Amino acid sequence: MCVPLISQSDAAPFLELKRIEKWFGGVHALRGVDLAFEPGQAYHLLGENGCGKSTVIKIMSGAIKPSAGTIVLHGQRFASVTPIQALSAGIETVYQDLSLLPNLTVAENVALSEQLVRANGRLARLFDRKRLRQTAERALAAAGLPTDRAFLDTVVSELPLASRQLVAIARAIATRARLVIMDEPTTSLTRREVDNLIGVVERLRSENVAVLFVTHKLDECYRIGGNAIVFRDGECVAQGPIQGYSKQQLAELMTGRSIEGKRYRSAAPSQQTLLSVERLEAPGIHQVNLSLRKGEILGITGLADSGRNELAMALAGIAPAMSGTVTLDGKTIHIRRPADAIAHGIGYIPEDRLAEGLFLDKSIRENEIALIISRLSNAFGIVNQQEGRRVAARLSEEMRLNTKDLELPVGSLSGGNQQRVLIGRALTIAPKLLVLHGPTVGVDVGSKDTIYRAIQKLAEAGMGLIIISDDLPELLQNADRILVMNSGQIVAEIDAEQASEDQLYKAILTNAPETAQ
Amino acid sequence: MSVPPVVYSGEGLSKSKRPGLGELIRKRPEIITLFLLITICIVVGVVNPAFLQASTLIDIGRASVVMGLFALGVLIILAAGGIDVSFTAIAAFTMYSMTLLVQSRLPDLPIAVILIMATVGGALLGVINGLLVHHLKVASLIVTIGTQYLFRGFLLSFIGTVWIMQLPPQMGAFGRRQLLQFESANGAVTTLPVYFLVLPVAAIITWWILNRTLMGRAIFAVGGNSDIASRLGYSLRTVQIFMFGYAGALAGLAGIIHVCANRQANPFDLVGTEINVIAAVVLGGARITGGTGTVFGTMLGVLLIVVINSVLVLVGIPSTWQRLVVGAFILLAAAFFVTRQRRK
Repeated sequence: MCVPLISQSDAAPFLELKRIEKWFGGVHALRGVDLAFEPGQAYHLLGENGCGKSTVIKIMSGAIKPSAGTIVLHGQRFASVTPIQALSAGIETVYQDLSLLPNLTVAENVALSEQLVRANGRLARLFDRKRLRQTAERALAAAGLPTDRAFLDTVVSELPLASRQLVAIARAIATRARLVIMDEPTTSLTRREVDNLIGVVERLRSENVAVLFVTHKLDECYRIGGNAIVFRDGECVAQGPIQGYSKQQLAELMTGRSIEGKRYRSAAPSQQTLLSVERLEAPGIHQVNLSLRKGEILGITGLADSGRNELAMALAGIAPAMSGTVTLDGKTIHIRRPADAIAHGIGYIPEDRLAEGLFLDKSIRENEIALIISRLSNAFGIVNQQEGRRVAARLSEEMRLNTKDLELPVGSLSGGNQQRVLIGRALTIAPKLLVLHGPTVGVDVGSKDTIYRAIQKLAEAGMGLIIISDDLPELLQNADRILVMNSGQIVAEIDAEQASEDQLYKAILTNAPETAQ
Repeated sequence: MSVPPVVYSGEGLSKSKRPGLGELIRKRPEIITLFLLITICIVVGVVNPAFLQASTLIDIGRASVVMGLFALGVLIILAAGGIDVSFTAIAAFTMYSMTLLVQSRLPDLPIAVILIMATVGGALLGVINGLLVHHLKVASLIVTIGTQYLFRGFLLSFIGTVWIMQLPPQMGAFGRRQLLQFESANGAVTTLPVYFLVLPVAAIITWWILNRTLMGRAIFAVGGNSDIASRLGYSLRTVQIFMFGYAGALAGLAGIIHVCANRQANPFDLVGTEINVIAAVVLGGARITGGTGTVFGTMLGVLLIVVINSVLVLVGIPSTWQRLVVGAFILLAAAFFVTRQRRK
């Protein structure tokens, strides 16, 4: 490996944060953070949601100003930097939301920033189309994307999510980056794309570029290697080579309490069948049969295009099935729209909670009672607010939200807490079946623990649960059985208690449906 | 260290390699506008061959100038995700104040200076819009509703309410100066005035700004998502001040041309036509939610509205039907764009 040693003499830090403090109103988000970044190194910024990780990267990229402290950039001292200053110094950020402009082309998204930085942010400049194309081609090639004209001219909103991620990375490396910050870069990627990304990172490091990952996926951190930086409550609680820490230790550092990597599943399902799906046909899924008993937890996994997402959306009525039978609790039901699913007692927790699940500017209370608003209203349509508050308070208690103020907008909560609000809301309809689509995507270790415990409690109470996820340890720790999908069909069934992660992963990769061959 | 080659099957690749008609319309929605325009011209031309005379075409060209200038300003603001309803008030304000100023104080001011002053005056009023939108952080629709009332109220309260029927001579002469003249079979003479040239020139400049400068790219970037654009280092303040200033400049210019062409200055004029202009820009394929739009499409949208307004009479449809037809076309085009976008 061409990774420079940490104590290499010429590798002086080119970016240092010294005693950085940040207050948001009365919230002390960063409490005197000291960090230093050396060329060619990999860093992993770890910590629970809300620990100050995003704040620190926003300060480094110039999106917000620190309340106190110094930023030392190439030996120069600053109280704060602007986005253009950060970019000119070679600090590139791939935000979790990717920060791509949906209406511009791939080439523009990748290479326009380079011209903007060259013009020092001034807009009264000609826009060099030839240079744009050349820069874009170079960067796309480096990120492993096609470089032909048709791809360069594709509008970003038409790209699949995984390639958008790579386009965002291509933008980061289009200029002479010194430090590339990646905020949860792998959440929407399949394994193969993650491999590609790691290859890109290796190459960046060999060109003396530092890389800072913000992530929840510890396995990937170990694969990449480098230094761990652990944040808790706005403070840096540990720093050092990641190989020197075990997963257990990192989890404890992040949460401040001990968390075992154990199997959560304990209770056994009953013998009564709750759900049976026969010969289900929907866009992207083909002849799916499955059954679920009361109190059972069924995992469903597969690659991103395997049909697992489509199956979830068919059960939730978002992309309804075209044919097939769904029997729930002995009754054949037809799910043509989301309201049907809710009426029959099927709760659904979408994968993209921000876009599909939550009203971000509405309060926790209003989000919690959104599904039962008609039940809370009287004959004149007036909502019983007192009862609504009671329901919301009980759910927040059950889901262990970290705030008592239920009037806060949901958008102000951390990812883990947002997810808890979403699960709490699904419970208000007292569902018989709960479909959880990627329940812990972008959620920290502590919240994961709470969510898993809640899932198990629901199963104990006799609810049937389906977890659709590509987080394999999550499925192995929580489910009774795991179904593997490929090309829209179920191709394998695995006993979660017996199987290992490797076995499961092999099943995902190797199984192809008989009819497709 | 070698990076493993990626097997990538981008949707975008296979799709854009074989563009069908649907794909083309989705990428260039103004084709629908062009189609509507040609259809109307053919139908009207068949019903009443008088339509296809040079004189009608010149009339349409002349009638497009003021609306076209307004529309170019609206295009830039829509592309950046904003909306402006104050440009007609800016035009009324500058045209009336300029005319009054020339008439009462500076009778010898050359026409070129008058045009430049009106443009600069419009730009200044536009900059007020831009500053308010940026610093109040209020939606541009609300801000410009406010400034529309403000500009118009100021004009009528403090500057004047009297129609100026007798224009200063240099302004009247500019309105009459000919570029081309046609004599039709029945002896009627139609002229294409010099001021018509302002529109193509403004259209080319607008196209150039949008497509060849960083400002143009920044306008689309802000229209795509202003939070992301500012995170990437685009200055929202510069973009907002520029776009409202530019729209204001075009409005000021349009106002003074309106006066010269009509040979009178009516302070109550123009305000109330802004929806018509916005409709033309949207018919030209710009999305009301921002981030898209082309100069070519906008010009087609303007032509479509002007043609509808001026030719329905030629085929015996009462002029009161114009609104009905424009409304139907807007809904038709919008429905078409939306279904195309959903279909991808």
